Amino acid sequence: MKRQSSLVSESVLIEKLTQRDQQAFQWLYDQYSPALYGVVLRIVRDDEQAADLLQDIFVKIWKNLDAYDASKGRLFTWMLNIARNTAIDSLRSRKTQPFAAIRTDEDNVHIVDRQHNTEQPNPDHIGVKEVVSQLRPERKQLIDLVYFGGYTHEEAAEELNLPLGTVKTRVRAALQELKQLFKS
Amino acid sequence: MNVTEYIASGILESYVMGAVSDQERREVECLSSIYPDIRRELDQLSEVLEDYALSHSVEPPASLRSKILSQIEFKEPEKPETIVRPLPVDVPATTGLAFRMSWVVAASMGLLLLLFSFFLLSQLRSNQRTLASIRTSNDRMQAEIRQLREKKNQTDQLLAVVRQPGTRTLKLQGNEKAPNGNMLIFWNSNTQQVAVQVQSMPPLPADKQYQLWSMVDGKPVDAGVFDGSTSSDQIQRLNRQVGRADAFAITIEKRGGSPTPTLSTLLAMAPVNA
Repeated sequence: MKRQSSLVSESVLIEKLTQRDQQAFQWLYDQYSPALYGVVLRIVRDDEQAADLLQDIFVKIWKNLDAYDASKGRLFTWMLNIARNTAIDSLRSRKTQPFAAIRTDEDNVHIVDRQHNTEQPNPDHIGVKEVVSQLRPERKQLIDLVYFGGYTHEEAAEELNLPLGTVKTRVRAALQELKQLFKS
Repeated sequence: MNVTEYIASGILESYVMGAVSDQERREVECLSSIYPDIRRELDQLSEVLEDYALSHSVEPPASLRSKILSQIEFKEPEKPETIVRPLPVDVPATTGLAFRMSWVVAASMGLLLLLFSFFLLSQLRSNQRTLASIRTSNDRMQAEIRQLREKKNQTDQLLAVVRQPGTRTLKLQGNEKAPNGNMLIFWNSNTQQVAVQVQSMPPLPADKQYQLWSMVDGKPVDAGVFDGSTSSDQIQRLNRQVGRADAFAITIEKRGGSPTPTLSTLLAMAPVNA
């Protein structure tokens, strides 16, 4: 699997970013905005809202750079968490049956996926997509519910009519399967 | 802590998925900083989710880039001192607070220390009082023990004399010269030993002693000298052998005794009832 940045270049990037360097930020945006936008879009399922949220997210990243602790995890993971939390919070504050679309309208999910995935294909990520498609459907469903839906394990268990233990086991199995898939 | 079990528990997966409580999150962050194996697993899982997110990548609208860039304030590449400038503004505020805080902490520490020393001092004082009273009662008891031991020695001596078969006890009462005079004579004709126990006799000057006489066929025979002012009940063995005696008599003589009794100082006399 081709990683986007090695550790060395990431530490250089972070140093530049904390110096509030414009070039570093542009590089950061070009490098990570498709992934962050994809996640946000996946959560809120609305182009306009996702665009607004992406602005908020990058401003947040910029403002909170000093709070980033490289010893606790990679920069990309940190940014992903900001993006994910911001999008899920926004979804929850809207209160218009936030997860209804994700939960029930499976066709719609596929339409959205197809729409966004095919409109602007990113050659770098094709390999990743193929890998993910090999993931067992019931595992993928659970990952999406928790990761993109912001479901707790308890909520996911209720939603899928599964015992809590099964949900926990399945989340672990799903990630371990993905780990193996990405490795190969 | 079993690292393998912890990794297998699934908590790390829940953590990277953002599906843990605050407490669990802190726990994972803490443990991952301690155990390299947990850190490694966590990093791998993070990468998995990074890849998973990448697999959902969608290019954002091109207009968004300039929009976002315009909202962000960048620093012009400048000389270090201008970058440093905002710092001194911040520092006094935080150090001021920290300074005050450290004073509060120092003052309360001092107060605590003071209270603690008072506590220790009062403890010390009460201990000293207890020690003093114990010392006094200990001295008193030792004195009592000493007295008892003396008494026991006397009793033992008395018993040693009295126990010997054939020992006779004679009671001597003072005459008109010593109305309160009162003493006992222990005499054993078999062992020829004689001892006296002064119960009360008039005190004598330092150069005088009492002398005991045994009357044999009407003649006084020296039976030894003894002191009158010793503590009561003490047995004094006399260093003369008395084989025969019809009676015993006491006179006051010069220290060491006289060969013949001074009859004017005769204080007491008692016959031996054969």
